[in-house]
Amino acid sequence: MHEKRSLPLEVLRYGLIVLVIGFFVFPIFWMVLTSLKPDDAIMVSPPRFLFTPTLENYRHAIEDKNFLFYIRNTLIISVISTVFVVILGSLAAYSFARYNVGDGHLLFFILSTKMMPAIAVILPFFLIFREVGKTGFGQFMHLGLDQHGALILSYVVFNLPFAIWLLVSFFQDIPRELEHSARLDGLSRLKVLRKVTLPLAAPGIAVTAVFTLIFCWNEFLFAYILTRKTASTVTVGVESFFTLQGILWGPVAAAATIAVAPMLVFVLAMQRYMVRGLTFGAVRG
Amino acid sequence: MANVLGVSHTSDMVVRSKAGMSDRTFSILLVAPALAVILVFAILPLVYALDVSFRFADLTRGGIREYVGLDNYRRVFSDSNFWTAGWITLKFTVVAVTLQMTLGVGIAFLLHGMTVGKGLVRSLIILPLATSAAVTGLFWRYLYDTQFGVLNWILGSFGLPEPNWLGDYTIALWSVVIFDVWQWTPFVALIALAGLQALPREPFEAAELDGASSWRVLRTLTFPLLKPVLFLVLVLRTIDCVRLYDAVAVLTRGGPGTSTETMTFYLYRTGLKLFRMDYASTMAIFFLYVMLVAAIFALTPLLKQFTDRAKEA
Repeated sequence: MHEKRSLPLEVLRYGLIVLVIGFFVFPIFWMVLTSLKPDDAIMVSPPRFLFTPTLENYRHAIEDKNFLFYIRNTLIISVISTVFVVILGSLAAYSFARYNVGDGHLLFFILSTKMMPAIAVILPFFLIFREVGKTGFGQFMHLGLDQHGALILSYVVFNLPFAIWLLVSFFQDIPRELEHSARLDGLSRLKVLRKVTLPLAAPGIAVTAVFTLIFCWNEFLFAYILTRKTASTVTVGVESFFTLQGILWGPVAAAATIAVAPMLVFVLAMQRYMVRGLTFGAVRG
Repeated sequence: MANVLGVSHTSDMVVRSKAGMSDRTFSILLVAPALAVILVFAILPLVYALDVSFRFADLTRGGIREYVGLDNYRRVFSDSNFWTAGWITLKFTVVAVTLQMTLGVGIAFLLHGMTVGKGLVRSLIILPLATSAAVTGLFWRYLYDTQFGVLNWILGSFGLPEPNWLGDYTIALWSVVIFDVWQWTPFVALIALAGLQALPREPFEAAELDGASSWRVLRTLTFPLLKPVLFLVLVLRTIDCVRLYDAVAVLTRGGPGTSTETMTFYLYRTGLKLFRMDYASTMAIFFLYVMLVAAIFALTPLLKQFTDRAKEA
């Protein structure tokens, strides 16, 4: 690991790194740039790098296309889903990490459901929600097609397995001794969980919450198939920029930038935990 | 076994009188709500799909109707579209995963050797991971545009050919691959880099003292030590590629023709465009079965690692 560094090799290394950065960052850079371009700088060849920036595309996306409506839906659906996932997930994960319920088999079953391709269950989901939406209970819980409840329920189901696995890895990091001494002091199990373990697990729970939020925010398939208009999220909303006159690239870029920006910020803030989050807690990073 | 229970037994004995509940009951109560949600919504749709797969179900002609035995399953075997979609999915997966793994590991090595600015570069390259494929994928159509696209402009200015990225049926699938490589190579790089940084120092110092060549160190030390992490990444990427949907949906809609119609997209088209719920459910069952069997094999090592850790804790 301490090999002598030759100058040409180092030049090559940094040259390649510049290329790598270019490849991964350029599309996002170009998207933001396009969102600020006036119409006459978008549909031109060759592409223009210099132009007078304008917020016209943002105005179009927000006022004419009502894009904030989709943001609002996405926010409601992702936040409520995340709250449910974190509560149910924390309780279950604590039980797995401390009491080893099901001796690993149950945990394995839960992870294996995560491997289910969403498309394979989307048809039954579609048919079931279509029926449930016609019942009184379904109406009350907004569980029909194109209603928030249906999407929230789907997201909770689909993100729980991931959240449980990630949370188990965080709970495993908390030393048992602390809980033991609290138990010896006469606290009930529930009190120990509430007063000792959960506060210690708070950072891990926050990480899991942010990951769940990102997944819900970026989800497309369920949103596309289970919603039409009233409950549509940003990933579906961007599609409404397809018009008979063609795709309005300026407003698309503006809408996409709005949709992506919060998640970019989150991911940058979460860097330290990215590795663990993306591997279900298997690699600690 | 014994040591797992041993820990809880001791605490149990001390405070049993105070809390009238056994550890076992308590632990089951904690898992129950989450498990109920997962069971109901993993099993219910499955049973529903299984039921529909044995029926005639055309939503344009009277919805879900009578049982037809194994008709839908026979159709799977004689349906050339199904096998074509399978072949396209396979091609996509093999090429995309290979590219992502090699590029990702390469980038991890590049970054690992960096002395300054490593953190900054890492932050920059993970940005694609934060974006939704449905949103940025849509914008990539503008990058790929033959007339106004910046990609062909760059190629053109180097005197390179300017392909019709999404319109040419021989190229479109590879354009989707490039997009997926853009979005997911950072994932491989990030995890591989974490793996590299977590390598123990001692064996490498010993190898250096022995005067082993860098290639030998790489082959006999670095890669074997990285293998578990890389295997995990490979499994996760393969699963995601096999069930690829979003990128196809926004970039090509399966076209031109059916040249980018992957399994998931064919399934979607059959069920929700042609409304043949029966046949689509049958394919979903097929697909699910293959995925689950593969997942069980692939995930067993991961599970073992996890439960072992639970036991030693």
